[in-house]
Amino acid sequence: MKKKKVKKSLYLYIVPGLFMVMAFVYVPIITNIVYSFFRLSSYSSSMKFVAFNNYRRLFTNDTFPVMMRNNIYYCIISLIVQVGFGTVIALVLESKLVGKLNSFYRNVYFIPSLISLTAVGLMFNFIYNPTAGMLNGFLKTIGQPDLQQIWLGDKKLAIFCIIAMSQWQYTGYIAMLMIVAFQNVSMDYVEAAIIDGAGPIRRAISVYIPLAKEQLLVCSVITVIGAFKLFTEVYTTTSGGPGDASQVLGLFLYQNAFLHDDMGMAAATGVLIFVITVTLSIIQLRITRSGQD
Amino acid sequence: MKKRFTRLLAMGIASLMAVSLAACGSSSSGSAGQTAGADSTVAANAGNGNVKTIKFFHRFPDDPANSFIEEKIAEYEAAHSDIDIVVTSAQNQPFKEKIKTVVGTPEEPDIYYSWAGEFSERFIRENLILDLTPYLEADSEWADSLIESQMVNYTTDDGMVYGIPFRLDGKVFAYNRDIFDELGLEVPTTWDEFLAVLDAIKADGTYTPLAEGNQDQWPGAHYIGTLNQMLVADDVRAADFNPKTGAFTDPGYVEALDKYQQLVPYMNIGVNGMTHDMARQLFTTGQAAMCYIELVEITNLYQETEGTEFNWGMFVFPTVEGAGNPNILTGEPEGFVVSANTAYPDECVEFLKWFLGPEVGAQQAEVVGWFNASKGVADNLEDEGLREAYDLIMNAEAMGPWFDASLYSTVCEEYLQQISNVTNGDISSADAMAKIQATALEAQTLAAE
Repeated sequence: MKKKKVKKSLYLYIVPGLFMVMAFVYVPIITNIVYSFFRLSSYSSSMKFVAFNNYRRLFTNDTFPVMMRNNIYYCIISLIVQVGFGTVIALVLESKLVGKLNSFYRNVYFIPSLISLTAVGLMFNFIYNPTAGMLNGFLKTIGQPDLQQIWLGDKKLAIFCIIAMSQWQYTGYIAMLMIVAFQNVSMDYVEAAIIDGAGPIRRAISVYIPLAKEQLLVCSVITVIGAFKLFTEVYTTTSGGPGDASQVLGLFLYQNAFLHDDMGMAAATGVLIFVITVTLSIIQLRITRSGQD
Repeated sequence: MKKRFTRLLAMGIASLMAVSLAACGSSSSGSAGQTAGADSTVAANAGNGNVKTIKFFHRFPDDPANSFIEEKIAEYEAAHSDIDIVVTSAQNQPFKEKIKTVVGTPEEPDIYYSWAGEFSERFIRENLILDLTPYLEADSEWADSLIESQMVNYTTDDGMVYGIPFRLDGKVFAYNRDIFDELGLEVPTTWDEFLAVLDAIKADGTYTPLAEGNQDQWPGAHYIGTLNQMLVADDVRAADFNPKTGAFTDPGYVEALDKYQQLVPYMNIGVNGMTHDMARQLFTTGQAAMCYIELVEITNLYQETEGTEFNWGMFVFPTVEGAGNPNILTGEPEGFVVSANTAYPDECVEFLKWFLGPEVGAQQAEVVGWFNASKGVADNLEDEGLREAYDLIMNAEAMGPWFDASLYSTVCEEYLQQISNVTNGDISSADAMAKIQATALEAQTLAAE
């Protein structure tokens, strides 16, 4: 292989960008790791070295298994609904079935993801309200009052109510990303498949999805990372309640940092989230052998 | 192989950046605040360069309080051409978080709202709040104009006064007089009478006896705080509030949770699924007979029932027999503190003297319906509800602190979670208390660190 010679001076051009990335991404990450071995608050000038004590307290915390479980629920359900169902929506919208209404449906699915998360949280607070809420009202109207629930106030349901809210919001977003990928699939392959007698389902499985593999991977990486840094949805609805039933890692981090004066514990939680997301991303990339065609 | 590894690394780093960027995004979402205050005086003084800028941070962004504060500050600036006060505000919950991120930094406000007790004392331990005692000693007229019983909460155990109250408060049951008349009920004074009243309303079936929304977890804590005051001796509670000695082993604490659990069946459904404001609206719309409210919420009651014939009254928490003191009124004054790092301590104190003084106080009582701690602010009030509220506060033997604000952070978190669990019936009072005791024990070592 012949190596192209690159002018050394060209490297200078990446210095400003590199500096920005170092200053705003890598330095904070390293500082965060350092902080996780200390006990400190956001306003105190002193910090005390506590070695692995923050990690020990994190892993032995009663809430720890609850948070992990909630984040994993969110991750699995989001992969199935957002990525899985989103891809199906994309395939349907790209097929000839919907005809001219294609762009109308695309907008309908996409619009929820444009609304601010905080607004969505407030809106769902009203929808889930046990006495005046839309959901219980609807169940009563259709003659199923037995199905009425306390929703966000119910220990078993709270986290699923929050997860449902996110699916409502983001399935259309993933569908949109997949539509773009499917549109990039060359018609040559599709036509070849049609000549070979492949029906719509066969074409989806053997042509569209394999050729949009990279995009599917990106979507699942986004979804998995999103699942472990889940925050606003919980913050604007239950704040982790009732009890600690809907607590998640992101909110736990935040509450420790800004409510419990425990920056060290927050930093340790941050490191954990970081390790989880990086590990999962690497595993996903390995499984799909990205870049190896 | 090498190429593959590089790609893998690049993707890993990319995802890492995504995480860190996302983390930046979420932390800013909690700091919903608003800025106001730059005005003509600044422009007028821009030339001479002697303008002293005082940053002022409060947590009352809703009207009428917000516009009242802005109006008064503009008035003060007009009278003091060398002072420019820059106001920011945030809602209750974001305020709690935001203030901790700015205190001790160059962004720190010169004057800010701060809850009395542990919330402020954590800053005092770091020498971040100005000691107002010398100022009060130097100006006896000012010291004498303040109501002594309301200054206690803003005084540390060793006598340092660190804050001046902006609004006095107390927790009472508001009740719907029409519903009580219709069912022939009397205002209860003891626990048994209270249960009898609740039973009667429930048996009638038309109204929810008690409106309560605990989604934000502090409303439940107010019940428990009051019950603890009646069931646990004062010195035991004082020792438990100190994070270094807090153990919460007194049996009265379990009994308080039991008593609270007794009330839950009389509350609206989905207590943990709605906020306090939503629950209060069950009361103001006549669907519920009673609601445990703060006296500062009288303003909200008036707003929510404007134009309707809403006939309501109030009574203090019925007496529960126990080792504690039944004459404490739950509710603490809330006020402002001055930063120890301010460049203009004298100017800040001078402003507070006026802003939290009798003249502004009387207007505040009239316009907002909140009283500050200066004597005589309610003398000319005509509104019956507000007068009654003022008398309740004045006649209280002592004020009980807000329970959640007086607990050490980790203990507070655990306590609130357990109250939430008890509300849902997911845990017994004894088991809940055992968990709180374990957290308190851990907090002892944390506080000592």
